[in-house]
Amino acid sequence: MKIVVFISQIVNPQVKLQGVDYFDSSRVNEDDLIINPYGKNAIEGALKLKEILGADVTAVCSKGLKPNKALREAIAMGCDNAIEVADETFYTEDPLILAKIYTNILEKIEEFDLVLLGVEEQSTSSYATAAMLAEKLNLPSVLYAEEIEIQGDKLRVGHVLEGGRKIVEMPMKGIISCSDSQFFIPRYTTMKGILNAKRAEIPIWNAADIGVSASVVGEEAASLKQISLSNIVIEKESFIIKEGEPEEQVDKLLAKLKEDGVKLGV
Amino acid sequence: MKMKALIFLQIREDLVEENTLGILNKLIETNPSIEIHGALLRDQIKSEWVEEAGKHGVKKIHTVKASELEVYLSIPYVKSMLEIIKDIEPNLVIAAGTVYGEDLIPRLAVQHGVSCAERITDITFDSGEIIFHSPVRDDQVMKATKIVGPIKFATTRTGAFFVNENPSGSSPEVTEVSVTFDEDDMVVKHIEIKKAERTVNLKDAKVIVAGGRGVGGKENFQIIKEIAKLLDGEIGATRACTDVHWIEETYEIGQTGQSVSPDLYIGAGISGAPQHMSGIKAKTLIAINTDEGAPIFNYADYGIVGDMHLILPILKKKLEG
Repeated sequence: MKIVVFISQIVNPQVKLQGVDYFDSSRVNEDDLIINPYGKNAIEGALKLKEILGADVTAVCSKGLKPNKALREAIAMGCDNAIEVADETFYTEDPLILAKIYTNILEKIEEFDLVLLGVEEQSTSSYATAAMLAEKLNLPSVLYAEEIEIQGDKLRVGHVLEGGRKIVEMPMKGIISCSDSQFFIPRYTTMKGILNAKRAEIPIWNAADIGVSASVVGEEAASLKQISLSNIVIEKESFIIKEGEPEEQVDKLLAKLKEDGVKLGV
Repeated sequence: MKMKALIFLQIREDLVEENTLGILNKLIETNPSIEIHGALLRDQIKSEWVEEAGKHGVKKIHTVKASELEVYLSIPYVKSMLEIIKDIEPNLVIAAGTVYGEDLIPRLAVQHGVSCAERITDITFDSGEIIFHSPVRDDQVMKATKIVGPIKFATTRTGAFFVNENPSGSSPEVTEVSVTFDEDDMVVKHIEIKKAERTVNLKDAKVIVAGGRGVGGKENFQIIKEIAKLLDGEIGATRACTDVHWIEETYEIGQTGQSVSPDLYIGAGISGAPQHMSGIKAKTLIAINTDEGAPIFNYADYGIVGDMHLILPILKKKLEG
């Protein structure tokens, strides 16, 4: 079985960038990028299946500058191979463009069964790529997976549902987007993994290598046009106690609540 | 030009889903002349759903009735929606951003060769152009987008729009659309739905003390329970906690759990992801979190940047006075 995991990079939320600055690539250093946390959940899902089925896991990253570091981390976690797919023409803000890029990558990889992705990009809340990819490849899919079990030659997948959980069965060849449920909590890298990651040769593919050009994956080709990005001004005044010993903080909070006439309890 | 919208009418627990009704209210408020069509796909179509949708402003309902549509599955639902879209040629196809809506809309968009707007919290109409507004980066930034193409596709963020409490629409016209399915359409098989037990109703709770991933373990929910008891309130949790069984699933608050509107909400060890926050409308919100950058502080009226494991025992002691 061959599993492909698509990961992406986001700016580390710990980096002190406010509002729209977060999306200004000139303010972001390479070191500020981390693997999208849900992408790590997808890696974990692939590695769990690898343990059971002996699958071969390939991590692919084509979002964010120089994804080499992210891919080495994926190998350190236990992925067998990695491919960096980078091109300055890629406009990855449109989930459909990203789905086009992924489609072409999979066509070049040729042999694959399961494709795993994170449920969404943490920074933009964009979730649509997984479903778009499934529709483009005409493959079955399950989104918001919370657990994957193997049932003979099928996968039994539990996924998030409003008011509960739904269980479905799907063929091994398909697309699954992985949530941050217990099942997908990412493992730590191991010493052996880190050594493998150091030694790994990670091929780099560009747009031409996967048979696309700016006219299909560039900003001009996007049907989703960004008009503006603006900071959301929070009008509500909030009283946040950032400093002090815990006891001091609690006292301050209770005093302020009293002053404001906020009753604790009914 | 008169705009035509098609809304995916979702049914949840035998009712037209709340966010779907909220979208209707929003569309009519923003664009009173808009002609709203609804798509109702199911193994059985209940007249109550049709009437409810009509009351909230749907003028025409297109139904597809088939045993294959008993529960949502991507392929048969996409196939049915494509038929309806072909029939009515809408300008906008929209669905609430539930798990099903977020699967359906991107697929329909791909079939029309365009992208979609995701988790919008506002929609505006500017000289025939539809502008979608989606908050990103933990609700710090608003992104405005438009879609180039004859049909625009969008999902809304759950909890974004209010339901009209006094809807005055009339009975809609109903058209049956016939769609046939083959074996290939049913390649993903429904096994079962495990409904979360809802033994505690949090909807009317005045005080809620809730914990998130930062609680760290089942035993640590004890302090949350104790404080809730002292305040004569209920406890709540994020899905991360109910998923790992730190606390019973009945206490899950958010998009996939219960919606609450207490006077006071205390959130401890909760980062404040939109999926959780969209279920909360609190008069006063107090947040306790070690991470100063946690988005919950954007929603909080009061907050302490600190470790809930240290703060809560002290708070309890002081409350006991």
